[in-house]
Amino acid sequence: MSNPFREDLVSRNRPEPCSVVIFGATGDLTHRKLIPALYNLAVDGELPTGVNIIGFARREKSDAEFRQGLEQLNRKVSRNGHDPEVWGQFIHSVSYHQSEFTDEAGYAALAKRLDEIDAERGGKGNRLFYIASAPEFFDDILLHLKKAGLNQSEPGCWSRVIVEKPFGTDLKTAQHLNEVVNQTFAEKDTYRIDHYLGKETAQNLMVLRFANAIFEPLWNSKHISHIQITCAENLGMEGGRGGYYEKSGALRDMVQNHLLQLLSLVAMEPPTDLSADGVRDEKVKVIRSLRQWDTPEKVAENVVRAQYTAGHVDGNPVPGYREEDRVSPTSETEAYVALRLMIDTWRWSGVPFYIRMGKRLPKKSTEISVHFKEVPNVLFGALPGGVPGGNVLVIRIQPDEGISLRMVSKIPGTSLRLEPVKMDFHYATSFGKGSPEAYERLILDAMAGDATLFARRDEVEEAWRFIDHIERAWHESDNKPVMAEFVAGSWGPREADDMIQKDGFVWRRL
Amino acid sequence: MSATLTDPYAELGKEVSVSQIDHELHALWEQDEARTNASLMNLVVYSEKSGSLLENSRIINDLTRDNACRAILVEINREEAASLRAWITAHCHLSHGQKSVCCEQISFRLTGRVTGRFRNTVFSHLNSDLPLIFWWQGELSDVFTERLASGMDRLIVDSSLWADTKISFTRIVEALRANPSLVVQDLAWTRCWQYRVGIASLFDDSVAQTALDRIERVHIRHDPNNRNTGLQILSWLAVQAGWKSLANGDFEAKSGKKIQVQIESSPDSAPLGLVELSSPDTCVRVSHEKNASHLQREIVSGDYHVSSLSPADPIPSADLVAQQLSRGGKNSLFLKILPTFLELLK
Repeated sequence: MSNPFREDLVSRNRPEPCSVVIFGATGDLTHRKLIPALYNLAVDGELPTGVNIIGFARREKSDAEFRQGLEQLNRKVSRNGHDPEVWGQFIHSVSYHQSEFTDEAGYAALAKRLDEIDAERGGKGNRLFYIASAPEFFDDILLHLKKAGLNQSEPGCWSRVIVEKPFGTDLKTAQHLNEVVNQTFAEKDTYRIDHYLGKETAQNLMVLRFANAIFEPLWNSKHISHIQITCAENLGMEGGRGGYYEKSGALRDMVQNHLLQLLSLVAMEPPTDLSADGVRDEKVKVIRSLRQWDTPEKVAENVVRAQYTAGHVDGNPVPGYREEDRVSPTSETEAYVALRLMIDTWRWSGVPFYIRMGKRLPKKSTEISVHFKEVPNVLFGALPGGVPGGNVLVIRIQPDEGISLRMVSKIPGTSLRLEPVKMDFHYATSFGKGSPEAYERLILDAMAGDATLFARRDEVEEAWRFIDHIERAWHESDNKPVMAEFVAGSWGPREADDMIQKDGFVWRRL
Repeated sequence: MSATLTDPYAELGKEVSVSQIDHELHALWEQDEARTNASLMNLVVYSEKSGSLLENSRIINDLTRDNACRAILVEINREEAASLRAWITAHCHLSHGQKSVCCEQISFRLTGRVTGRFRNTVFSHLNSDLPLIFWWQGELSDVFTERLASGMDRLIVDSSLWADTKISFTRIVEALRANPSLVVQDLAWTRCWQYRVGIASLFDDSVAQTALDRIERVHIRHDPNNRNTGLQILSWLAVQAGWKSLANGDFEAKSGKKIQVQIESSPDSAPLGLVELSSPDTCVRVSHEKNASHLQREIVSGDYHVSSLSPADPIPSADLVAQQLSRGGKNSLFLKILPTFLELLK
């Protein structure tokens, strides 16, 4: 049945009342991100009335203890602060369900509890399962959900699942996980979360490209020389992160998901419409069109991996990667990766895309820069200094979200001298109101059945297919490309500079 | 001429000659390179109330925290001797605790015969290519003309302040005919935004949805100054649910069922204190206790009872304008309910 009062009210799909079950409810993600996101939606009046939240985890806890822990952290991290009145009403809808992830009886009890909630609600039984547990439990949780019949929904209702990263560790494990997920939930009910896609600037990428007439005609190999995507982090392996990182590395942790998602948004063709599949059909074509670096030689030529050695970041001395907590002294895990990618499509023929991601770089910053070709060297070529570089369009994802455009201008004076100038748009300057957290937007989208900002099965698998060749060359070939080094606090290894310089370019200075 | 300490308008910044405004603004920005000038729109605040310039300058100081704009404040007084005075200043705020972001403000006071130069004075000091938003405070006087409206992108009014709502809306409708792309925003309508969101959210619930076809009573409570808000939300309910208005003020549902309407004015009410839709077995209610910071949303149907809190709409006009500016949009829903609202005014 449709709700006539929703019509014309807000320009987004309608989130529906549901029960949200969070697996891994005692974990950091639930406390720091998920519950604060749901609470902030309640503060803004965006959370549908009648949402129930059930935390599912292994530890013994009462509802009161669970709620107390959530409140403690919400007070610290909530974007909208902590309003005791709203919290009081919100937390009333939150409860705790103790069970092992492998305990069938625990799921049966959960099913009973959800049925009771639905019965109270007059039979409406929408369910949203959020798998935020450690990845080794994904299979168990999904299989038990199916056994307990929780993947099924009553007519007119839905049952959906949100799966947190990592979505597999390679193509094989991703395919396996996808099989398990799709044996339990239909693809249309599966939401693979990539919080980068919930960021304001990532969403603005499509608006920038397709709502402004000036960019799209230039967005091709005729006018663009190359594109760089940089994700720099100044942190290292603090807080015991080394244990997790050792198993993933920069390529799997960031490039396979977040950065290839950004790449696909930058490079995709205009979708036929804004539907989830309309957008994702175009995104996956980009990943599918990536030229495969499928031999150790090609990997050595187009991919640089590196670890940092001891150095200084923000003026403080920091250890080298192999000296970090929970990192092996003989580790072969990359803390930095730079890739040269080619997209074999009509639009991008001959345009290299460079991606670099690293820990312990000088500052935290994620940016996309589109470098336009230089003008013909006719009019101003004879001037001292010539024309100082081409136009660069920069899309800043974080921090300080915004867009800037570098242009060339004449320096005032009687002589003709040219200098680059920058036109800069900062979200925070123009729109004082802060953006919602990515998780707020994404959870609301899942409640509304809008999967546009979630990765589809084929996107994930195609990304792994590309990444697997590189991982294999690094770890399984007889002719392994070298592990480069750079001093912590610098902008990465010389080998990465050499790679881009071979094409006649340099890394953008951030 | 510079403002002196005894000058009542000293708060408006530096008094400048109208012909020197652009020059003086440049000089203002050159004083301190650390500041960023931000602007997303031209916001003209028009008032015929004496002393409004100072009051509005304070409002703009708050409003520019979230809405970067070039503010042009105008005060008109036809009774005084002819004069045109202008002041410039900038409102600066720390953005996210870091950079100082500033918005410029030009204030004009036009008196006597000079008031006729109002349109040209404003239009010659706009930031080019940015949208022009007029916040028209008080009655739509004869200064408001179709020609003036034809240059606006957005017009913000507050119909709750009008002596004759019907006549003023007739002028708005004429302005819309002359400038169909004009977006009109009535703060009386903005005042019930959270109510509309709340009601829509409650009707997402299957229990409330099932009751929609059986609604037989609507009860709306407002304070005496906000009758228009009460009538506008009633118009919205009727238009969205497809109810037909009857001569006695009640409605008829698509099924032919009569819907009795009670609109109650109470001095003890919040601006909009209650919107309640009842069927024989279900009550869907959004309410707001006077001075409370939240709305209460509720569905009661036998033993079934759900309730939640949601933010209340702000009460000061300035906060409503800020909210309206940050939402943007075409306001097509307002145009959709306008004929029913005008019908109810009769």
